[in-house]
Amino acid sequence: MLETVVQAVINGLLIGGIYALVSIGVTLIFGVVKIVNFAQGEFVMIGMYISYFLATYFGVDPILSLFVSMPVLFIAGVLIQHFLIRRVLGPNDMPQIFLTFALSLLLLNLALLLFTANYRTVHTSYSDQALHFAGFYVPVAKLIAFVVAMGLSGALWVFLQTTDLGKAMRAAAQNRDVATLMGINPNRVFCVAFGAALALAGAAGSLLMPFYSAYPFVGQVFVLMAFVAVVLGTLGNVLGALIASLMMGIAESLGIQFVGADSGLIVVFAMMLLTLAFRPQGLGAGRMR
Amino acid sequence: MGQIDTDTSKWKFAALAVLVAAVVLLPQFVENAFVIDIFIRILLFSFIGVAWNLMGGYAKQLSLGHAAYFGLGAYTATLMQIDFNISPWIGMVAGGIVAMLASLPIGWLCFRLRGPYFTIATLATAQALMLIFLKFRDFAWGAEGTTIPNLGNSPLMMQFESKAAYYYVVLGLLILALLITWRIERSWMGYYLVAIGEDEDAAEAIGVNAPRMKREIYMLSAFLTALAGTFYIQYIYFIDPYTAFSLNISIEAALVAIVGGIGTLWGPVIGTVLLETTSTLLQSWLGSSTGGIQLTVYSLILMAVILWRPTGLMGLFNEMWQRYLGRKPARLRASP
Repeated sequence: MLETVVQAVINGLLIGGIYALVSIGVTLIFGVVKIVNFAQGEFVMIGMYISYFLATYFGVDPILSLFVSMPVLFIAGVLIQHFLIRRVLGPNDMPQIFLTFALSLLLLNLALLLFTANYRTVHTSYSDQALHFAGFYVPVAKLIAFVVAMGLSGALWVFLQTTDLGKAMRAAAQNRDVATLMGINPNRVFCVAFGAALALAGAAGSLLMPFYSAYPFVGQVFVLMAFVAVVLGTLGNVLGALIASLMMGIAESLGIQFVGADSGLIVVFAMMLLTLAFRPQGLGAGRMR
Repeated sequence: MGQIDTDTSKWKFAALAVLVAAVVLLPQFVENAFVIDIFIRILLFSFIGVAWNLMGGYAKQLSLGHAAYFGLGAYTATLMQIDFNISPWIGMVAGGIVAMLASLPIGWLCFRLRGPYFTIATLATAQALMLIFLKFRDFAWGAEGTTIPNLGNSPLMMQFESKAAYYYVVLGLLILALLITWRIERSWMGYYLVAIGEDEDAAEAIGVNAPRMKREIYMLSAFLTALAGTFYIQYIYFIDPYTAFSLNISIEAALVAIVGGIGTLWGPVIGTVLLETTSTLLQSWLGSSTGGIQLTVYSLILMAVILWRPTGLMGLFNEMWQRYLGRKPARLRASP
């Protein structure tokens, strides 16, 4: 019994690392640009297709294609912020919500048109390998994904804490007007935040590819998880989103283990409803930033 | 000023009279079932859009979860019909009441969040309801769904042989929703809702009971959306969770209102006419086999509206009308 629980926790923790990359992107954009990016999941999907095509046509290892998917999506993020999002920043929610929502619909349906609804997989030498220790089973592909995801999250954390640009981003997140008065160019900061968030989504896509199928709707699974994690971890809080994502991964995995194979989403929704009912301000409200 | 205004209202009245006459007489002249079907879709989605607009347009509570109420209405009436042989006319009202009651706890949860996170919470609750109905195998047929028994022509059970009858039913629903909206627009509640939509904190500061207003308009919006659910299932003779709780219903409800003109009486109707016509033309040009093309075009239209004309087609028409009257082209403020 205890072993089953530990095994489920390990599985959940590993996939939680991927959720964390998506959630951190959502919360970074929310914190700095003050909008919710409904299309975040679709950028995971794009990252997956980039890795899929690089692997299929050029034989590039999906994990290494991170070095393509991240810069491509960073540039895409900067362009989207500069040409689309910038035009709807203001006190009204409607244009912001429905612009990113329209972007999500557009990318999803374009993928459906271009790539069809077929599931696409990449098989690598380590796709089926697993480490065994102390009786537990750790799939190599997921372990690599988790380690790289934590590395990238840590790199973002260091970037936000130590570099001038990172500090400017945190300043803009705390108070946009004062930050502007201090000489911070808000559009530049927003472009970097949006680009970084999309790069993380792209990384999530590449890391998923060795053990997950790419299809047009794949992003929706991850974005829903990310939205719940971002509320649970307090809106705009990077560390909170990271911890909440790992918790979500573990909760989902325990749900699959003990409630049924198709109950993962139900667990997610249950967590969302519990969060809304008891702690709508998130777990870390007023403590960390 | 007064001169021009009476002029405008005369024109408006004449236009409305012509429109009503044309819409009421239409099935008498059009025999083609395919064409009637398109008009039924236009009226149905206009109706859902008007219901969404009550809450999303006036109070700016942007829900992407109205499929929850569409589905609850559809399932309530169908369960009553199949298990107890109760007429869907009664089931329709019962479904509306179920949706109204369901909107209380859902609203209690979702209204804790504001802005985009309210939108996400509504979307998630609708998806959660779909999952629950997929699980209800014994109670509500699970994922397979069920067909509605065909009784031939029996108006008391909301089943008709001619498509024209369905057309009049949904036309009646749309007129009801438009009348309700028209009444609310001119009532204190309408002003309170617009105030909440502009700035909820400021509205509360001047004494508007925002939670109560939001709760009540959500109930009304849910009630009307549920009626559409019952009608739709009776019209297509089939129900399953994917149809009844389809995310596309939630999307289209919001889309037609925004494209047509959010927070206006006629916006959702005009938006539906544009979107459904576009969709029909696309289907006849490309065939229905091309998955994704309809929503690709819808999302492009939505982006264009948001970036260049946030007041929607109504804003555009208003501006053109003002220009025609020779006034200074007063561009409406973006998304009031």
